[in-house]
Formats: sequence, structure tokens, C-alpha cells
Amino acid sequence: MLNIKNLEAIIDNKHILKGLNLDIKPGEVHAIMGPNGSGKSTLANVLSGKNGYEIKGDIKYNGESLSELSTEERAQKGIFLAFQYPLEIPGVNTNTFLRTSVNSVRKAQGEKELDTLTFLKLIKEKASELGIDEKFLSRQLNVGFSGGEKKKNEILQMKLLQPKLSILDETDSGLDIDALRIVADGVNSYKNKENAFLIITHYQRLLDYIKPDYVHVLSNGKIIKTGNADLGVQLEKTGYSNIV
Amino acid sequence: MKQNYDFKIDKINDLSPEEVSLRKKNLDLFYQTGFPNKKNEDWKFSDLNSILNNNFNKIVNNDFLPIETEFKIIDEFKHNFISLLNGKLISNDFSFEEKNKISIDNFTYKNELSLGSKNSLYFLNNALATGGFSLEISKNYKLKKPLVIYNNFSNSLKETLINYKNSIILNENSELNLINYINNSSKENFMVNTIENIKIKKDSLLKNILVNNSKCNGYFYKYIKSDLEKNSTFENYLLPSGFKFNKLDIEINLNEENSNSSVFSALNLINNEHQEIKTRINHNAPNCNSFQKVKNVLNDESKGVYQGKIFVKNIAQKTDAYQLSKALILNDAAEFDAKPELEIYADDVKCSHGSTSGSIDLNSIHYLKSRGIPEKEAYQMLINGFLSETLEKLSEGKIRYFLTEKLERQINGH
Repeated sequence: MLNIKNLEAIIDNKHILKGLNLDIKPGEVHAIMGPNGSGKSTLANVLSGKNGYEIKGDIKYNGESLSELSTEERAQKGIFLAFQYPLEIPGVNTNTFLRTSVNSVRKAQGEKELDTLTFLKLIKEKASELGIDEKFLSRQLNVGFSGGEKKKNEILQMKLLQPKLSILDETDSGLDIDALRIVADGVNSYKNKENAFLIITHYQRLLDYIKPDYVHVLSNGKIIKTGNADLGVQLEKTGYSNIV
Repeated sequence: MKQNYDFKIDKINDLSPEEVSLRKKNLDLFYQTGFPNKKNEDWKFSDLNSILNNNFNKIVNNDFLPIETEFKIIDEFKHNFISLLNGKLISNDFSFEEKNKISIDNFTYKNELSLGSKNSLYFLNNALATGGFSLEISKNYKLKKPLVIYNNFSNSLKETLINYKNSIILNENSELNLINYINNSSKENFMVNTIENIKIKKDSLLKNILVNNSKCNGYFYKYIKSDLEKNSTFENYLLPSGFKFNKLDIEINLNEENSNSSVFSALNLINNEHQEIKTRINHNAPNCNSFQKVKNVLNDESKGVYQGKIFVKNIAQKTDAYQLSKALILNDAAEFDAKPELEIYADDVKCSHGSTSGSIDLNSIHYLKSRGIPEKEAYQMLINGFLSETLEKLSEGKIRYFLTEKLERQINGH
């Protein structure tokens, strides 16, 4: 599904990613762990198509070169990034935003756009699965939401857009244990043989709830070690300094 | 300076010799300075003289016949209406109201030379105005439905100047929701110069909404002079996007205690459109509030101006006055000028102002795009979110919804 070869990323003359290789197949859950400043969020930004990076190397998504796709095209083709810091957008109603988003993706995929009523029904169902109060949906997007509410809103968007590749960037940060469990349940219930996850995290904590097939350690812009779920547990005990 | 205008008082029908003489005096006063230019402090950022020189070959006045015209009635909410064509009162319908509580008629031109204004457009209006209306609401009467004023203009007004005056009086303890609805898509250049006098008596409430429905090649100037008595409220919601040029010159006199005023404005300017909101809020009595929020989005080579003055008289203690201007500048060739002014002679007052301008937040654009929303739509969503905030305080849900949709159309290109 995703094949990254020798990826380099430079921003403001800083070399952040320095030759990263990663292959993700449908049905797999990959976790990327690493110390602060190792390039984890840069990888998420680059995959989402954020401007400002000088990119070298090659990223193929279902055989297609990602560099030729705009951010919105990537989303329309099934790449989803749950932001580490979801943006507050004043004046934009959460409901309107979600419907515009879902319909933009449906339209691009050649599906019929959802009318207001069908959409409302869908969103009520998905929101209640994540324990999101309906009142949030009529508020301005993420404005005044707590950290946990913002993260739940990200997972709600994931479930509405039904992406093939979901990248979760530090989704566990700012979550209390209950919110963490809800978010993890949201992810686990969406997981299937067709889709894949790339979970970027600093701590093992989230991986107690979402079991990864592979754990990669990112350090200084490169993956320096790959293992199974046990590697995460080991890192939690020993810290990064013993490995990097 | 090139003079490309030719105004004739004898084009106006049915004037008495005294009227002709007074109008001639006003026209002479106008000719002494011509259209306002940037040397005039009030027109520093909107040099009307050169704007007209650049866009009109000549400008003439005319007297129009009141002709019935077809126009589309708003069907989103029930309302009373007045219809104007080129400033002339054509018809009215107050079928939701008690008839004897509302008086509507053609404006009666008193022989006035000037109301002390230094503005040459005022003299020009005195000299050439025809048409307009006088509206009066009786004491203790609250209109059940809003009143829409359909401002229709012919599509054949090439290089023509229209002048008229309106008068609106709300007697004690009365209420009116007024919607000035401008509907014209003329490709021809024309100019409209309106003077409106508003009196809001004790305990009354006027909501004054201005919304432009379509793009047109019109150059508009409107001077609103309003006087408020005790416990009265004057709210303004202005959505004038779509004109080639527009200057709204609003004077609010808070003459008695506990009177309140607000001005909310949302503008999305494109191409070389130029709009100015100028306000002068005079706190002439204690315990009055005034609130202003002016938001501009500037695309292409457009220009936006906000000149907001708050004047607090020495006796106006406990004044609470606030003004905020926010602009989003989306192109290097666009320009926004803000000139806030506070002139305070009382010592126990709360007055504040703020002005910010900046570009759109690209991280927000990225966030929306990452959810599959195309870039153009992402921009429109953010602009809409930025501007629609000015309608939040409007309590009438149906009207607010109607205006929100109009604003969205203004942003998405009419």
C-alpha cells in the first residue's frame, strides 16, 4: 500500500529525514517510535502533503507517486492524518466542515454526495460510538475543545472518511486514560484487512491498546530498528538512549 | 482637474422658483470643490474624484419617472416591503401590520441649504435630489414582520447620478427590523448618492440591515445620520459586497442616557473594488454603549477602508465604547487602511479599539485540505467563517440564516 524509499526531507535548511525506508501492506499496523526531534511528525507532514518541505527519494501509494498528488487528492484517495495538534477554526461549524469533507471525498471517488438528513443520521451514529456529545457538532470546529475532545474529533473524521491508510500523529498525547481507551476502541473497530495504520507515538502507552504488527524506531531521520510489539515494551523499560 | 460632470437643476420636474434658487446655491457650493478628493481628511483613503475620473466619461443627473417594475420578492421569510426604482418610491405593502400605525410617503423636500456638513456630496444631494421616502412608525407599535426596502435600479443608468433622501422615524417604544436590499446587476456605470435621516425615540429599537444581492457597476455613497433618545437601540449589520465603489458614512448620535448602538460589517472585496466604512459615534450623554466590529477580506487589487471615530462629550460619563477592525489580505496588490480615532472629554469611561490585518492561516488551509476539501473551497470556508461571525449577534434566526447564505454567495462570487 505504502512504499517509502530513501526518503529525505529538508525544511529551512534543516535535514530532518535522512533516508527513511518503510513498507506498509493492507491490514497491517505499524508503529513509529522515537525520541523528540527524530523526525516523527515530519514524516506525518510529508505524507499528508504539507508545503514547505524539500523532498528527495520516493513515496509510492498503491503504486502511484505521492509527490504528484496535492494534499486534498491524497485525502480523496484514502490517506488520512490525525493531527497531533488539530487546528481550531473559528467561524466554521463542525457539522458543516464534516459534511463538506465527506462529500468532497465521495465526489472525488465518484460516489453520490450525502444529503443533509442522511449525513446527520450517519454522524449521530459515529459520534455516539465515540461518546461525542452532539452539541460539539454544532460548535465551531475545535474552538474551545479540550485536548481529548479534539483527538476524538480526529478519530470521528477518520471513521467518517473511511481511509485506507490512517496516520495517527501522537494521538495519545493530551488524552486521559478513559479518552485513550475510547480513541483506541475507535481505531480497533475500524481496523480490517483492507486498511492500514501508521501510528506515530513517543510512548508505549497507546500500543497497549492498539496492538502493532511492527514497531520501528526512528532516530536522527532514519529507521534504525524494526521489531514486533515487544520492541515497544522493551523501549518503555529501557528508554531510547540504549538503542539510539 | 478634469471636470467630467454636467448637472442641471432644470432637469428636475415641478420645482418652485424658491426651490430652484436654493438648489442652485447648493450646486454652486458643490462646484466650488467638486467631488471629494484625498486632500479632504474624510476622503484621504477614498479619492472619489479620481475614482470617478478614471471610470466615468461624464456624469449627468436625471429625474426619473416612477414606473412599476418587476422584481423578485424574497421568499425566505415573510415581510412587509417598500419598493424603490432609481430612488423613487413605487409601491409598498404592509399587509402584516396595523395600517394606521405606519406612515409611508414620498420624501418631502424642505428647502434646506445644508445641515452643516462640509461634504460636497451633501450639497450635490441638496441640489439634485428627487424621490426617496419618509417612513414613520407610531408610538408603542412593534412591527410584526420585518420591512424590506427593495432598492431597484434600471439597467440603463449609464453614467447617471441618482440623488435622494430618506427619513425614518421610530416614535416612542416602537420596533422595526429594516432590511435594505439592493438588487441590481447592471454592467453600466452609475452612481447613487443617498442621505438618510434616522430618528429613534425613547425606548425604541431599530435593526438596520444592508445587503447587496448581486454584483454591479454601481458607485454608492450613503450618509446615515441617526439620533437616539433615552433607552433606545440602533443595530447595524452591513453586507455590501459586490459594488464597484461604496462608502457608508454613518453618524450615530447617542443623545440621551442608556442608548446603545452597534455596527457590524462584513466585506469580501475582489478585483479593483473599493469600499469604505466610516463611522462617527458621538457619545453625547452618560451611560451609553457603542460597539463596532468591521471585517474585511481583500482579494486581487481591491481596497478596503475603515475610519472609525468615537467622540465622548465631557458629560458622557460611564460611556462604554468599543471598536475592532480585522482584515484578511489575500493578495500583495490589495490594500486595507484603518484609521481609528478616539476623542474623549469625560474621565470615567471605557473606550477601546483594536485593528489587525494579516494573511490567511496556511496551517488551517492545510488542515481542511487534508480532509479532502479542495483548496478553493478551503479558502472560501475560512473566509466565510471569518466574516459570518459579524452576524452572530443578530437575534432573528430566519433573517440571520438568509444573510448567512447571501454572504456565502458574495464570497463564492455571486
